[in-house]
Amino acid sequence: MTRRRAALAALAAVVAVLAAYPAFASGYGVRATLQVFMWIVLASSWNLISGLTGYVSFGHVAFFGAGAYAGAILVAKAGWPWLPAALAGGVAAVLLALVIGYPCLRLRGPYFAIAMLGLNEVLRALVSYFEGLTGGGNGLSLPTLDATIPIYYAMGASAAMVTLVTHAIITSRFGLRLMTIREDEVAAEAMGIDTGRHKLYAFLLSAAGPGIAGALTARDQGYIEPISVFPLATTITMIVMVLFGGKGTVWGPVLGAVVLFVAQEVVWTRYPYVHPLLFGAIIVAVVLLMPRGVLGILQIRYRLPRTI
Amino acid sequence: MNVHITPTMLGQVVISGILSGALYAMVALGLALIFGVMRIINVAHGPLLMLGAYTTYFLYSALGINPYLTVPVSMLVLFVVGVLLERTLVFRVVDAPELSSLLLTFGISIALVNLAQLLFTSDLRAVEYLTGSWVVGPFALSKSRLVAFVFAGALTGLAFLFLGWTKLGKAIRATSQSREVAMVCGINVQRIHLITFGLAAALAAAGGALIAVIVAIQPEMGQIWTFKSFLVIVLGGAGNYPGALLGGVLLGLIEQVASLFLTTQLSEVVAYVLLVVILLVQPTGLLGGRQT
Repeated sequence: MTRRRAALAALAAVVAVLAAYPAFASGYGVRATLQVFMWIVLASSWNLISGLTGYVSFGHVAFFGAGAYAGAILVAKAGWPWLPAALAGGVAAVLLALVIGYPCLRLRGPYFAIAMLGLNEVLRALVSYFEGLTGGGNGLSLPTLDATIPIYYAMGASAAMVTLVTHAIITSRFGLRLMTIREDEVAAEAMGIDTGRHKLYAFLLSAAGPGIAGALTARDQGYIEPISVFPLATTITMIVMVLFGGKGTVWGPVLGAVVLFVAQEVVWTRYPYVHPLLFGAIIVAVVLLMPRGVLGILQIRYRLPRTI
Repeated sequence: MNVHITPTMLGQVVISGILSGALYAMVALGLALIFGVMRIINVAHGPLLMLGAYTTYFLYSALGINPYLTVPVSMLVLFVVGVLLERTLVFRVVDAPELSSLLLTFGISIALVNLAQLLFTSDLRAVEYLTGSWVVGPFALSKSRLVAFVFAGALTGLAFLFLGWTKLGKAIRATSQSREVAMVCGINVQRIHLITFGLAAALAAAGGALIAVIVAIQPEMGQIWTFKSFLVIVLGGAGNYPGALLGGVLLGLIEQVASLFLTTQLSEVVAYVLLVVILLVQPTGLLGGRQT
């Protein structure tokens, strides 16, 4: 168990450094790390539904946007403090997931994937339509507040929480049932697993993180508009992060989020038009050539446990 | 909103709905064929339609060819693109779990859209060919939409004749009913997959070519067509090819009727709510599933 101990010690060290980081970091450093936390929340949440059950969500950014609007409206119109508003953003996203997930996840097959493909456009249209509440296309401004550092901690706690929840699920019977659904849904049903309900629970869990992250991001940026909180590119990025890192694992999405965020900042911002094209190519390549992702390959090569 | 609806308005709505419904039906038939034969939902169906639209646009603007004469050219070009995509990438995931085929075609779709953005820029482009309307009695018929309806009707009819009467068409239907039995009967299933994918891309291209004359085009125009085609299939019953016709016309009518009461902005919302409600109450579609 020395390897396990060493891993835990390293993890504790990373958490300690990240917790102390804002005390000595530059403004850019804090902001970039905050972004990494956000991507960890988004990627790990996508992994909960799509990596574990095999049901692909093509519109996960919808929960980010729903959380952003729910949180921003509560702050701007009802005067809520940002922390409860962020939690309310998570609740709003879970409720939305319930409405979409209940009809679509009862069925096997591609229904869920396509329903999620359309959800984003629909929310954008709705937000633009209900101008009185959302400001429509003009966007919604929040009262000014310098809370980057508290939001850094809140986002970091969310990232840690989502990762912990993923670990708890993957090491539990619930997680085994989800993975059974992924491998063979008919067999899962034959063994008495209530597949519809399990898929729905996984989906509801996967919506909470993006909802909270959306509300926190809205508070941090102080201004949201339909185009900025519902971009298809965000969904694409979380999918690429999970596939690259290794879907269905605890640390794969984290690895993917960190590596791809750094790559994006350092290299790809110089080629703004090539990089989405590259993302499409990465998805195709990973699906065909290394479906288990980087972590999956490491697990096999170095005989690492399945539950990392 | 308080709208007073006259019989003329209703007639106009029914006409417009049927006109756009034929286009929906043709494009959705392509998606239904791939789903029926290969058990894959091709998320790149809409982006293939977009490529068809650009083929027509460039043939028209650069060479001055009548856009309606470019429809078969666009179909041929996209048939080849479809065959190449199947041969190089898609055939690898035919028997893989659904996750792989969905993600693969999603990746292809992102790559196609961004390639188009890189090559053609995001500018809106229009084929200004047949503008204006014919007025028949109290109704106005948009010329480009009427011609598109005729084309879509004819091409869909041809597709059904092909599926119903030719040896190849029967082989496609046989494969869609049972791949194993089709193999035992001596059908080369790999070849059928190839042809089906090409054919589906050609149907999408025909849709794109006709749409290019109706509205301005841009690289992101396609994705909504993947969604709408899927909705048409769900309405008609997945795996049920005649169902796609009914589904297409129904979607056209529903969207038009909704536009009477709501702003056009919300017509996509109506289509979406429709999808969710149908999945809730009648997931096998209105005509029931899988009859070929």
